[in-house]
Amino acid sequence: MAARSRGTELDLSWISKIQVNQPAVLRRAEQIQARRTVKKEWQAAWLLKAVTCIDLTTLSGDDTFSNIQRLCYKAKYPIREDLLKALNMYDEGITTAAVCVYPARVCDAVKALKAAGCDIPVASVATGFPAAQTHLKTRLEEIRLAVEDGATEIDVVINRSLVLTGQWEALYDEIRQFRQACGEAHLKTILATGELGSLTNVYKASMIAMMAGSDFIKTSTGKETVNATFPVAIVMLRAIRDFFWKTGNKVGFKPAGGIRTAKDSLAWLSLIKEELGDEWLKPELFRIGASALLSDIERQIYHHVTGRYAAYHDLPMS
Amino acid sequence: MAATHAEPSAREIFSTLEYGPAPESHACALAWLDTQDRLLGHYVNGKWLKPEHRNCVPCQDPITGENLASCLLAEPEDVAAAVKAALDALGSWSGVPGGSRAQHLTRLAKMIQKHQRLLWTLDSLVTGRAVREVRDGDVPLAQQLLQHHAVQVHDQEEALAGWEPMGVVGLILPPTFSFLEMMWRICPALAVGCTVVAVVPPASPTPLLLAQLAGELGAFCGILNVLIGPASLGDTVGRCPGVHKVAFCGAVEEARVLRQSLAGQRLELSLALGMESLLLLMDSADVDSAVEGVVDAAWSDRSPGGLRLLVQESVWEETMRRLQRRMGKLRSGRGLDGAVDMGTRGAAACAAARRYVQEAQSQGAQVFQADPVPSASPFYPPTLVSGLPPASPCAQAEVPWPLVVASPFRTAKEALAVANSTPRGGSSSVWSERLGQALELGYGLRVGTVWVNTHGLRDPAVPVGGCKESGSSWHGGLDGLYEYLRASGTEDRLPFVYEHLNYDSFGLAVPAALPAGPETGPSPVPPYGLFVGGRFQPPGAGSSRPVWDSSGSLHGYVAEGGAKDIRGAVEAAHQAATGWERQSAGARAALLVALAAALERRGPGLASRLQRHGVELEAAKAEVELSARRLRLWGARAQAQGHTLQVAGLRGPVLRLREPLGVLAIVCPDEWPLLAFVSLLAPALAHGNAVVLVPSRTCPLPALEVCQDVASLFPAGLVNVVTGDCDHLTRCLALHQDVQALWYFGSTKGSQFVEWASAGNLKPVWVNRGHLRAWDQEPQGAGPELGLRAARTKALWLPMGD
Repeated sequence: MAARSRGTELDLSWISKIQVNQPAVLRRAEQIQARRTVKKEWQAAWLLKAVTCIDLTTLSGDDTFSNIQRLCYKAKYPIREDLLKALNMYDEGITTAAVCVYPARVCDAVKALKAAGCDIPVASVATGFPAAQTHLKTRLEEIRLAVEDGATEIDVVINRSLVLTGQWEALYDEIRQFRQACGEAHLKTILATGELGSLTNVYKASMIAMMAGSDFIKTSTGKETVNATFPVAIVMLRAIRDFFWKTGNKVGFKPAGGIRTAKDSLAWLSLIKEELGDEWLKPELFRIGASALLSDIERQIYHHVTGRYAAYHDLPMS
Repeated sequence: MAATHAEPSAREIFSTLEYGPAPESHACALAWLDTQDRLLGHYVNGKWLKPEHRNCVPCQDPITGENLASCLLAEPEDVAAAVKAALDALGSWSGVPGGSRAQHLTRLAKMIQKHQRLLWTLDSLVTGRAVREVRDGDVPLAQQLLQHHAVQVHDQEEALAGWEPMGVVGLILPPTFSFLEMMWRICPALAVGCTVVAVVPPASPTPLLLAQLAGELGAFCGILNVLIGPASLGDTVGRCPGVHKVAFCGAVEEARVLRQSLAGQRLELSLALGMESLLLLMDSADVDSAVEGVVDAAWSDRSPGGLRLLVQESVWEETMRRLQRRMGKLRSGRGLDGAVDMGTRGAAACAAARRYVQEAQSQGAQVFQADPVPSASPFYPPTLVSGLPPASPCAQAEVPWPLVVASPFRTAKEALAVANSTPRGGSSSVWSERLGQALELGYGLRVGTVWVNTHGLRDPAVPVGGCKESGSSWHGGLDGLYEYLRASGTEDRLPFVYEHLNYDSFGLAVPAALPAGPETGPSPVPPYGLFVGGRFQPPGAGSSRPVWDSSGSLHGYVAEGGAKDIRGAVEAAHQAATGWERQSAGARAALLVALAAALERRGPGLASRLQRHGVELEAAKAEVELSARRLRLWGARAQAQGHTLQVAGLRGPVLRLREPLGVLAIVCPDEWPLLAFVSLLAPALAHGNAVVLVPSRTCPLPALEVCQDVASLFPAGLVNVVTGDCDHLTRCLALHQDVQALWYFGSTKGSQFVEWASAGNLKPVWVNRGHLRAWDQEPQGAGPELGLRAARTKALWLPMGD
C-alpha cells in the first residue's frame, strides 16, 4: 500500500468557484463507455487487472464466520488456477486487493486470511455505516475498534447532512478526526453520492475529503438507491486530478455498488485511464467495491481461455 | 502490418495496460463492392448505370491507399439521363397522397435498419471516419430522419395546404464526409414530393448504396438518382430543363462560381457552405465539460471541419492546461477500429491541415500537438493553435479539420463582437453556467445554431442552417420542408436566359433627365427628395426625374438617387436596425397598426394620386384600404413568431427563434404602386428588419407620401425610400456587401443581375424573374411565403439538468 495521504489545510477557495454542468457530464459518461473497448488478449489482461483492484465485499446482516472464510479464500484464489496458467499469469500472485466486511466481522476475516496464509488487507466499513446517523463519538470509537481488530483499511461514510447544509468546515473537521482515529490504517471516504443532491456537491465533498487526508474517495455504500454511476465518477475523478495538480498528492478512487459485469469493470478501468492516467491503474490508487463482479470476470476469462461459455458449476463459488 | 507485429502477451499487457486493436470486420462492405465488380457506376432510375468511355477515379482506403474500387465520373449525358428519370418519376411520386409517400419513406428506414452493418462498415471503410460515430450516430439518425419526415407529410394535404413540391431537385454534395449530408436533404425533398438527382463526389459509395436500397423497394424507382462526379457538375444539373432547385453543399468559392453561372436560370439555388464551428467559453463555465465540447466539435469525427475557440482571459491558462491534457488521451487510428476517437480523412485533408499549421506558425502562432506524427503518416493529429495575431491572414481563413484555433477575449461583449466579425455564420456553442449570460450570447450570435453547454447535437426536428457566407438554406424541422416547397401558383420554370447580359454595364449609367415641360394637375405638391435617415433629403447627384400620369402629362419630379444615396440609406438602416431588432414584437406591431391608421387618414389623397395614375376611384380606395389591412395583418402575425421544439433524447427545450435578416433591400414592382409597397414593407418591418426600398418607378409618389407618416412614427433610418433609375439602384443594392437580403420585383434582366451579383456576399435574394404577382390576392400578396423570407431561423439548444 502506498504512503498515507497527508491532506492539506482547509482552503475553501478550492471549492467556491467550481461549476459542474450535469447534462454535459452525463453526455461524457455515455461517450466514454462507447469510445473504448478492449478485445482478446487485451481484454483478458485488463480483466485480471480488474481482479487485482477488487475489494471483495460482503456487507450483509447474515454474515457469519463461514461465509467470511469462503470470501477470504476466494480473495486469495480469485481465478481458477488452470486458467491463470493458460494465460501464463500463475506466478503473478493474482489476488483481490482486499476483503471488505462489517466491523464485527473483521476478526473473522483476519483469522481466515491468516489461516489461508495470505497477507491481503482487511478493510472494514465504519462510522455508522451506511447512514452515518450516529454520534461522532461512537463513530470514532468504531474506527478505533476496527483498527484494533486488525483492519488496515477503513471505509468511513461521511455525514451527508453536513454537505446538504453546506457546513464544509465541519465536514473537514470530522474527516480529519476519522483520519486520526485510523492511525496507520488507510482511510477511504465514502461520499454516498446518491444522497448529495447534485454533482456540484459531489465535487465539493470530494475536495473536502481529500483536503482532510483521505487516501481514497469512494462513491457509495452500495446501500443507497443510486450507486456508483459514471457521471458521479467523472466528477470525482476530475476532483482527484485537480487535487493532484494543486498538491502533487495522488488520491485513490473506489467505485462501489452496482458493478456486476466484466464489461462494467473494463469500462471503469478505461474511465480511470482516460481521466487520470495509467499511474492510477493499480490497487494502490484504484479499487472496485464488489461481490458478484468477480465470478463474472472469471467466467469471461474461462471463455477467453477455453473458447467455451462456462456452466455455473465450472467455477468455484465465493 | 498486423502480421509482422508479434502480438503482446496478456502478461505484458497486464503491466502496460495499453489499448489493443479492436477491428470491426468489413467483409460485408468488400462483398458489396464485389457485387459491382469493384466498379461503381451511377444509380439511376432504380438501376445501375455504367456507361462506357468514362473517366475513372479510384476509391481508396484512406489509410493503406489500397484500391477498393473504381468510380466512373459522370458526364453531362449521364446527368441528363438522371434528370430524365427524376422527371419521369415526379408525376407519380408527387401525385400520390402524402400518406403513401410517408409509407414509402418508412419502408426505406426499415431497409436501412436491415442493412445497417453494411452501411456503417462501408462508410467507415471509405471515408476513414471512426466507425463508432457512423454506427452510433449517423445510421440511427438516418433512420430517424426518414421517420420524422414521414410523420411530417402524413397529412401534407391539410398541414401544408397552399404549397406544392418544387419538382426535380439537384443536390451537390461536398467531398467525402458523411452520407448524412445527403440524408438531411433528400428526406424533406422526397417527403414533400420532389424527386432528387444527387451528385456525390468520387470515392463516396455510401450514397450509391442508399440509392440502391431505395431502388430495391420496388415502387417509385426514379425518385432518388445518385451520380458520381465533381462539384462542378452543379452547373450542368442546374441547366437541365426540368430541374427546379439546386441545393449545393460545399466550399464558399465554388458556391460563388455556381451562383454566378446559374444566374437567370430561373431556379432556386440554396447554399450550405463552410464547415467551421465556434465555441465560446466563459469564465463561469464548467471548464472540464467545455473541453469535452471541444473534443466533440473537432476531434471526434462528428463534425466535418475545424473549430474556432474563444476563451475568456481569466480561465485561459486553466483551459489550455486541461485541453492539452485531454489531447494526450485522444486516439487516432483506423476508422474501423472500435476504440479510436478520430479516423483519418485522406491525403487532401491532411495536406490542408498541414498547410494551415505551417502558415500559422510562420505568422507567429504556437502549435500544440500531444503526439506529433511523421508527415508521411496518413493521420493528422489533433492540433491546437494559439497566439495567432487577429489580423494575420490565417486568423481570417476557415479553420480546417482537425484544428482548433484558440484566442482569448476579455468580456462577453467582446466575445460577441469577435464571434460575429467572421464572414461565417454556421454553428456555435456557448459554455456558461450563468443563464442570463448564456441567453444573451445565444441570442446575440449571428449563426444558425447555438448550443448552450453542449456542442454538436442534432435532431430531425430542429432546423439547421446559417447566415452570411455559411449560406442561407435549412435542413431539418419545418424550415427544411419549406426548402423544397413553393407557394401554389408559382410559375413553372421557363428556360429563358439573357446569356449575353453584360453584368459589367447593367444599370451602370443613369440616363439624363431634363426639364419636361409644365407641371399640371392639382395640388397638394408631392413630396420631393429621397427619404433617408428619417427625413427627405436632396439627392447626391443633384438631378431629378419626371413622373408622368396616365394621360401622359407631367405629374411632378422625384429625386434621382444614386450610389452615394444607396450607401447613405444602407448606413442609416444599419444604425436603426439594432434598436428595432430589440423592440418586442408587440411594440413593432403597435407601430404598424399606427401606420395603418395614418394611411387611412391619408386615404383620399393617396386614392387621388392612384387615380391620376389611371386607377378607377373605387379600385384606388380599395387599394388604400387593403394596404392598411396588410399593415395590421403583419402586425398581428409578428407576435406569433418562433416556438419551442421538442427533441427526443434531450431534456430541455430547443427554441426555434425567428431573427431579422438585418438590412433588407426591396425593389418594388411597377404595378400596385401603393399596395405592393406596403405588402413588402409590412412583413419586413414586422420581422424586425430595417429596409431600403426602391418604390414603383412609374408611380413612386404614393410611397413617398406614406413616408411622411413613417417619418413621424418610426425610428429614423428604419425605412429608407430611394427613388431613381431602377436598374441603377438595383445594381447598387445588389453589389452592396452590407445588405443582408434583397427582394427584387422587376424585369427578367434585373432578376438575373441580382442573382449574379448576390454571389458577392451570398445574400439570400428573392426575384420575380419578370412575372407579375397578384398583390391584391392573399396567397401572393400576404402569404406565408413573405413571412418565411423576411426572417431567418436560429435554433437555440438549452439542455437542462442539475
